[in-house]
Amino acid sequence: MNKKLLIVLSLSLVLLIGTVTMAASPVRVALVLSGFLGDQSFNDSAHQGLLRAVEDFGIELRVLESEVPADWEQNLVAMADAGYDLVIASSTQFQDILERNAGYFPHIKFGIIDGVVEQPNVVSAVFAQNEGSFLAGAAAALWTQYDHLPGVNSEKTIGWVGGMDIPVLHDFLTGYRQGAQYIDPDIRVLVSFAGSFSDPVRGKELTLSQYEQGADIVMNVASGTGNGILEAAYEEGKYAIGVDLDQDGIYPGSIVTSMLKRIDQAAYLMTQQVVEGTYEGGQVLYMDIANGGVSLTDMSVMQAALGDDFPAEILEVIEELTQKVRNGEIVVESYEGFRRN
Amino acid sequence: MFSLSEIFTLTLIRATVRMSTPILLAALGLIVTELANITNIGVEGIMLVSAFIAVAASYWSGSWVVGILAAVVAGVLIAALMALIHLKFKADVFVAGIAINLFSLAFTRFLLKNWFGVAGSFYSPRISPIPRINLSFLQIHPVIDTLFNNYNLMDYLAIVLVFVFNFLIYKTVWGLRLRFTGVHPAAVETGGISVTTKKLQALLISGVLGGLAGAHLSLGYTTQFIENMTNGRGFIGVAAMYFGGVAPITTWLASLFFGFTEGVGARLQTMGFPSQFILMMPYVATVFAITFSMIRQQKKLTQKQPF
Repeated sequence: MNKKLLIVLSLSLVLLIGTVTMAASPVRVALVLSGFLGDQSFNDSAHQGLLRAVEDFGIELRVLESEVPADWEQNLVAMADAGYDLVIASSTQFQDILERNAGYFPHIKFGIIDGVVEQPNVVSAVFAQNEGSFLAGAAAALWTQYDHLPGVNSEKTIGWVGGMDIPVLHDFLTGYRQGAQYIDPDIRVLVSFAGSFSDPVRGKELTLSQYEQGADIVMNVASGTGNGILEAAYEEGKYAIGVDLDQDGIYPGSIVTSMLKRIDQAAYLMTQQVVEGTYEGGQVLYMDIANGGVSLTDMSVMQAALGDDFPAEILEVIEELTQKVRNGEIVVESYEGFRRN
Repeated sequence: MFSLSEIFTLTLIRATVRMSTPILLAALGLIVTELANITNIGVEGIMLVSAFIAVAASYWSGSWVVGILAAVVAGVLIAALMALIHLKFKADVFVAGIAINLFSLAFTRFLLKNWFGVAGSFYSPRISPIPRINLSFLQIHPVIDTLFNNYNLMDYLAIVLVFVFNFLIYKTVWGLRLRFTGVHPAAVETGGISVTTKKLQALLISGVLGGLAGAHLSLGYTTQFIENMTNGRGFIGVAAMYFGGVAPITTWLASLFFGFTEGVGARLQTMGFPSQFILMMPYVATVFAITFSMIRQQKKLTQKQPF
């Protein structure tokens, strides 16, 4: 009996010492991904933001990757259980998982990017991907009119290839369509989903088939699958639009612009809040055109590739549209469930 | 909203061929092992490792030929590992296959991180891709040119291999012995031929073909490596092999059928069909194909037995 008590006592002592020493150690942040790093897109962007936080605040960072849905919940719970100060779940696919588990760890701070979880210990960051896609759609609709450029045909058809068929991608699509139709009401938008975020072979095949059906520019919203989309543009001498990160330089001259979803900024902001003690659970960070949370790249890579052929007008139009969205003159529609309250 | 003429174009035939090649290469290897009574589901893992090695070798050497050769060597090594597990240590072949597939997924991740310091995907302009072949004598007519010309080298190679293996299996002593290894191993042993050696040969050959399939994914069809980029194409190869009745030429047709479902799917989606339904097609086709071939097999068996 006494022996047991002793063991329990000594164990709690060890734990106590452990907690005390931890208080002095740096803020520990865990990033849980529903995929892998190296997608040059969503996951890498979150990682970049946190690497910036490592530099600025000296936090300790741990990244858990998996594309197997069964692992996601385990990874999240494991990190919370390990007592990380902030556990960031980076993607909309963690929404239900976090909803279920946040309550079990009231002392752990959570963050979710690209989804909303209304719990007292979760900060959510959502992107107006519809607004960013609106600009991308407008850019694509303009581009398909520049027949003088190599690879642009006379058909008014543009394309869009997504990864999995999930609501957040439809929010992209809604904005893309609206932007394209704002420029040209008669435009035809081809839409395909690959059903996976890690199948570049299928991504390429879908893109080739859209090119064959008359599209000359295709927007990539497909993470790892998207690498195949960009490659198709490069090989066929056609055009693509990148997503999440600045993908313009992957195939210079083939990628007109990228829609930047500043996932890095959202991850960085959450960490900053924890470090500076301003973290407030239940809060929603809206990242939109107005606060620079979403935007297009400046197309400088494309400009350099095309030289004098580059239609400078497109930059002016995009800038004008950005202003109009910012001051509310244009209201970009959202997909059901993504409307802001 | 859509018209048939827009779906059934010449380019659909091209897409069909393109999408069938990795399945066909995998299935050819599977035929050889299946004839020796080994259902080698490890082909998925063999393809994945080979795809990675192909990219790595091509990146370092700047030559796609080296890339293909390295992929084949990698495929053979993984197949040899499988042979060790199954033939030497007598593990169940399905268990060995699953082990190889899980191992390959983690192993390629590990190498990606260690060799290139990246996670998830690797691509670089320094990776030299397998070229497309332009046969000028096919340019006589635009239709012929669209249908037959300018495929990737591997697309042509796969078709050549169909006939090579058809010859090897049905017209050579080696093929006869291989087929008997599966049908009646005791008779083969009585004839003074080692069943284990035959099975080992079959596995190593499936390693070569799995290696080619992997190299095609990462150097032929695309020029990059992404984790788990095989995405079940090895398993669809298993289905194609059964659907094709474990014979090269019919398996080729079966692979084309699977390629066709992918190609049609890509076109139907843009016509506004729900993506969930379209993306299901290759897998539904797989279920039908397997069911169909199993029914056929059952019939054969009952016909053979008089009572």
